[in-house]
Amino acid sequence: MSRLLTRRSRVRAVAAPVLATALAAGVLAGCSGSGSDDNTVTMWTYPVIFDEAKNKAYWDGLVKAFEKEHSGVKVKVETFPWANRDTALATAIASGKGPDAVYLIPDQLPKYARSIVPADDYMPADAKSDYTDFALKSVTVDGKALATPILTSANPLICDKRVFAAIGEKNYPTSWADLQALAPKLKKKGYYATTYYGDTQQTLNMTFYPLLWQAGGDVFSEDGKTVTFNDAAGVKALTYLKEFVDGGYTDKDLVTTTPKLEQTPTAKGKIACTWQNTPADVEPFWGKENIVVQPPLKDVESVGYGTVGALSMLKGADKKNTGDWLNFVAESKNAAGLEKEAGYFPARRSGGDLYPGDALQTAVGATLPNMTVGPLQEKAREVQGVLAPEIQAALLGKKSPQEALNAAQKAAQAMLGR
Amino acid sequence: MAVVAEPTRRGRRSGPQARREARIGLLFVLPCFLLFLAFRFGPGIAGVLMSFTDYSLTGGGSFVGLDNFTRLWDDPLFWQALKVTVLYTVLAVPGTLIASVSLALITRRAFRGAKFFRSVFFLPVVTSLVLAATVFVWIFSTGGPWSTLMGWFGMSEGSWLSDDVLVLPALAIVGVWSRFGYGMLILLARMQDIPRELEEAALTDGAGPWQRFRYIVLPQLKPALFFLAVIETTASFQVFDAVYTMTGGGPANASYTLVFQLYDAGFKYFDLGYASAIGVALFALTVVVAVIQRLVIGKDQ
Repeated sequence: MSRLLTRRSRVRAVAAPVLATALAAGVLAGCSGSGSDDNTVTMWTYPVIFDEAKNKAYWDGLVKAFEKEHSGVKVKVETFPWANRDTALATAIASGKGPDAVYLIPDQLPKYARSIVPADDYMPADAKSDYTDFALKSVTVDGKALATPILTSANPLICDKRVFAAIGEKNYPTSWADLQALAPKLKKKGYYATTYYGDTQQTLNMTFYPLLWQAGGDVFSEDGKTVTFNDAAGVKALTYLKEFVDGGYTDKDLVTTTPKLEQTPTAKGKIACTWQNTPADVEPFWGKENIVVQPPLKDVESVGYGTVGALSMLKGADKKNTGDWLNFVAESKNAAGLEKEAGYFPARRSGGDLYPGDALQTAVGATLPNMTVGPLQEKAREVQGVLAPEIQAALLGKKSPQEALNAAQKAAQAMLGR
Repeated sequence: MAVVAEPTRRGRRSGPQARREARIGLLFVLPCFLLFLAFRFGPGIAGVLMSFTDYSLTGGGSFVGLDNFTRLWDDPLFWQALKVTVLYTVLAVPGTLIASVSLALITRRAFRGAKFFRSVFFLPVVTSLVLAATVFVWIFSTGGPWSTLMGWFGMSEGSWLSDDVLVLPALAIVGVWSRFGYGMLILLARMQDIPRELEEAALTDGAGPWQRFRYIVLPQLKPALFFLAVIETTASFQVFDAVYTMTGGGPANASYTLVFQLYDAGFKYFDLGYASAIGVALFALTVVVAVIQRLVIGKDQ
């Protein structure tokens, strides 16, 4: 700084940092500002309808219709990206800035249970009795419905017709044995029988658990106090999967890494069947006409993963206004737009058939009774966190299936005890 | 080298003028200092405090003393993550330093295109690692360029990312690739300050390229290398994005790092007290290693 500071420049020199300090303080103060309007219901949702414009049009239309029926109540629907949604939501709830209502799937409900207003507090009895057992059971934690279901989905077994044509096979697999028998034939012609996404960031609900359920096993005991995936059924499921990896009937790289879908053998038309992608995922690569929908594979029983999209009311919300809004959205005629646009299915019996004349969607819908949403336990994700690396260890030959599952059981049990 | 004179330090000025300037200087620093307090120091202290609670985003929390730390001590996953983090650092830091020195030496002279190469070598630093990692997943995949290259050398053509031994070298390669440009820039700046006469004199005395590097250039680079070693070690201890994108911590936790464990505990399971304890352990580890580095490399400075 010059020695010849005039009074004016000195004032300026002092004023600049003071102003900057004030601005910085303003930024900090801004961090703690909050405002809520009692007559406004805010809801967070995600791109359930992938097309942004269609998603916006659907919610805008619904909000307009609701506000017309309920004068004085405003609804603000905010669509956030799927990625890191739990981090954003949990942080918002913890800092008291959470929305009044939010879109959740059953897997998330136990974690947020303490912040959720049970749906029984606002859901009319006739609406409740209209839900399918699958939908209602899937949002019920400790005997309480924690959300209002608005859609259901299914991940059936899907097979690529072109691959079956290439190996001259007309019958599609329905059981573990069927797929196993096809595997060598497929390999000979350069195809994988199936695919397995073993990357630990994938949810086991869509990858390993369906096999576990099909073998007659489950992740948790009925009371949720112990894990049971290392019983005979679990070992059988993991051994079955390992035979596919060892035999080269599935891409071994996918056990550890998940590339973009377009880089996978699935998208390249190199696999026969999978339960780990949906018809909507593969349609751009396979073509709708080449997707064959089968019920989930069967060993002891035919079970697959399906989910329920639901709306939960969070504590602190205006119960009357938010409840009215959620009940309005869940009405079959109002939820239909969302379900149909996104390719999902109704959660209520009165929802009827949304896809008359669409063979593919009808076939997917027919598998809904075979679906389950996975464990509804608070520590379900932590258990996945210790189980997934052990599954990898078994698939890569570092441990036997029994050793791997036992190690995971020991770690999971220690967590449940905390 | 003793022949290089240290720049003389400017004498401390005193008097009302200097004090006024110092006060104004402090005022200029104040906004940044406030923001630092609020967004760095504050959360840092909060993190340490939180490590003594069982705070969870969805369910409040209470003081639990050293429970999180005893749990950490008994957690085999923590020791696995620590082992992975240290191994990764042992591979990545020397790799980055060697690559930085080599490329700084290559591009230090003003040959035609030197600036172009310097820019190109710096590019990975400003490239999103998540984006680059997606490409590296393909490079390392079975049948990808790296596996094919290894096949030519008689090695397995399987993906390094699926191998519990080779996965860390693979990640270290990506780490070195993404960091060497920064080191190169720091070293280049230092190299420009080395008087050419020194090397010319050594050349006249018959010193070969290695001797000139070993006895003239390298000693001059020591402060910069110490700085880089500390920075790179800290960065390696915090490796996350490449691991997250490329392996998800696998196979079978062979690339599961401490920050990955922290992320899982904090943002997947909302177990923030435990996540904070992992953070505190990581911080302690970084400080200890920095002190050791200071004693080994930086003792003359």
